[in-house]
Amino acid sequence: MADVTLEQLTKVYANGVVAVRGLDLHVDDGEFVVLVGPSGCGKTTALRMIAGLEEITSGRLLFGDRVVNDVSPKDRDAAMVFQNYALYPHLSVYDNIGFSLEMRRVPKADRDAKVRDAAEALGLTEMLDRKPRQLSGGQRQRVAMGRAIVREPSVFLMDEPLSNLDAKLRVQMRSEVLRVHRRLGVATLYVTHDQTEAMTMGDRVVVLRDGVLQQNAAPRELYQAPNNLFVATFIGSPSMNVYQGALERIDDGVAVVLGSQRLLLPASFLAEHPSLNAYLGRKLIVGLRPEHLTDPATGARPPEPGTTLVANVDLVEALGSEELAHFSIDAPLAQEGSKASRHVAAELLDGSTAPGFGSGIARLDPLTAIRSGDRATFAVQMHGMRFFDIESGEAI
Amino acid sequence: MTATSVGIDVHDVAVAPPSKRALKRQQRRQDREAEMIPVRIYGLRKGTVTLVTLLCVLFAVFTLIPIAWIVINSTKTQSNIFESFGFWFASPFEFFHNFSLLFQDVDGDGTYIQWLGNTALYAGLGGIGATALSTFAGYGFARFHFRGSKALFYFVIAALLVPIAAITLPLYFVYAKVGLINSIWGMVLPSMVSPVGVYLMKVFIDASVPQELMDAARMDGAGELRIFYRLALPLMVPGLMTVLLLSVVGIWNNYFLPLVIFSENTLYPLTEGLGLWAQHASTSGDAQIYPLLVIGGLVTIIPSILLFLVLQRYWRSGALLGSIAN
Repeated sequence: MADVTLEQLTKVYANGVVAVRGLDLHVDDGEFVVLVGPSGCGKTTALRMIAGLEEITSGRLLFGDRVVNDVSPKDRDAAMVFQNYALYPHLSVYDNIGFSLEMRRVPKADRDAKVRDAAEALGLTEMLDRKPRQLSGGQRQRVAMGRAIVREPSVFLMDEPLSNLDAKLRVQMRSEVLRVHRRLGVATLYVTHDQTEAMTMGDRVVVLRDGVLQQNAAPRELYQAPNNLFVATFIGSPSMNVYQGALERIDDGVAVVLGSQRLLLPASFLAEHPSLNAYLGRKLIVGLRPEHLTDPATGARPPEPGTTLVANVDLVEALGSEELAHFSIDAPLAQEGSKASRHVAAELLDGSTAPGFGSGIARLDPLTAIRSGDRATFAVQMHGMRFFDIESGEAI
Repeated sequence: MTATSVGIDVHDVAVAPPSKRALKRQQRRQDREAEMIPVRIYGLRKGTVTLVTLLCVLFAVFTLIPIAWIVINSTKTQSNIFESFGFWFASPFEFFHNFSLLFQDVDGDGTYIQWLGNTALYAGLGGIGATALSTFAGYGFARFHFRGSKALFYFVIAALLVPIAAITLPLYFVYAKVGLINSIWGMVLPSMVSPVGVYLMKVFIDASVPQELMDAARMDGAGELRIFYRLALPLMVPGLMTVLLLSVVGIWNNYFLPLVIFSENTLYPLTEGLGLWAQHASTSGDAQIYPLLVIGGLVTIIPSILLFLVLQRYWRSGALLGSIAN
């Protein structure tokens, strides 16, 4: 049992590429922390440094009070589940799970009991004599987990363990992984590129980008109060709609300018976010989650005056539980200025959207009458609106 | 025959299963129909496939002709070898007589059986040594990154380009200094150095021993030696067998190196022994040495063929199946 502390952990490869830059992170004993980010963001490198498979360029890594920078992987007491499982192909399931115990010279009787125990916990008892090639993807995944838990490690590391499973099995295995985590009750670091996985599994989620920590927070906070434009658009599916806009003072308060339209910002919102006052009369990035755009016809109350947005609906996707309306307005997507917004723009801009027009998605009630081709009016939940600096991409 | 009986006949024919000939006819028809659909193998046109097949057959024939000749002529007497048609048998059938002569000392040159034993010893020791060294070196190059590893590997590759004849003379002088002339180690040690083997093993290990497997084992607490023996080695077996076969056959057929380092008949491998016989055959007119040469050649190539047949079952893919998700 140990907590894990990363202090300014940095990895620079021989070719000069900085994979992880000054990562600070603390994982409490028994905590489940997810490292998430797009591919190449350094999350796997960070995990491999913690495992001891990758040399630490600078910074400190502590398990409990012990600095383990130069401790070999086998002496770190960390177990790891690999993306590709990395089972030993010529050993049976039994020997795969028992391998680490054998290496640690655990007495045979003891070993047998532990292997059978782990196999039972993962529903592998019937498969103990089989070779990995005789197992399905899900079963191999379980063997990989069994191999890690049988040692009762003090730190549990997982590198995209579910990414090779099909969608349905992946959802099933999520709860299985969490069950294993609860059973072990140790500090767990879980790497994934899938934000849904991150949100549903983590006690805490750490978002990385280009080797730099973007935000470290509980899933709900990450979603509701993203630190910057990158986190805002990376977390959540469909992702947040972000436009270039401005704040303008009008007679009875402050308005958000989105293209040719103006939305009235409630005085209470300004009171909660006093830093916005500095942006009056300036350009900024306006973020709106799809669920904060609704069809007024299906709402319980009519929208407040000045909180509706008129948009051209290009396509409505009926998902049964909800309908996703793809729309466009005449406000440009967040795309100029900072690197962050450019990055977002590249992801969001498809060829069909002319510059000056921003596309977006609204998550509507299934009872909505809005259809493709409509010019529709959406009610905007103004309290869900988020603002970011147009240069730095930082939340305001 | 009455009309009724004819009717019964017809009925019988209808019920009876179609005759073999009818089945064959049907089969031929189906084959013809199948042929009308242009067959494409690996996206090649049928004509191309035929041409390539034809070239392969020609090559096979070209390769097999000397073997056929040696098999046929191993049954002949010396005079028949020269006088009868080379690609057919001639009486008397002297195969067993010739074969038994192999095990006698002809002209005091030494015996075939001794050379066979020598060759097996050199090829066995050298082959195992070459395979072991290639495996260690290939594993090191493939899975460990150390200072200068790339340069060292390119150096090994460069050694591939150096013909053995070019280094034999310097080798001889070195051997003379350290007393390896007329020693079996003089033959075995250089045979253990196999740049091709190192290269093959590195490429094979790159492809078949996943880095993640080694990472997993390291985390499981296995030391590097243990990882090598318990986990990596079983995955390397097909590559290992390839290198073993290539080295053994290479040493078995090596003529130049033993020619330089051996002057005693009793140390000769088969290649030198047969060479010695060939010299005698052309100088001494009377002795019946040609039949010996022919059957000696035949017996020499048999072990290589057998080895190939035995080891080829290791060239199976799928050894890694199930280890890594794909």
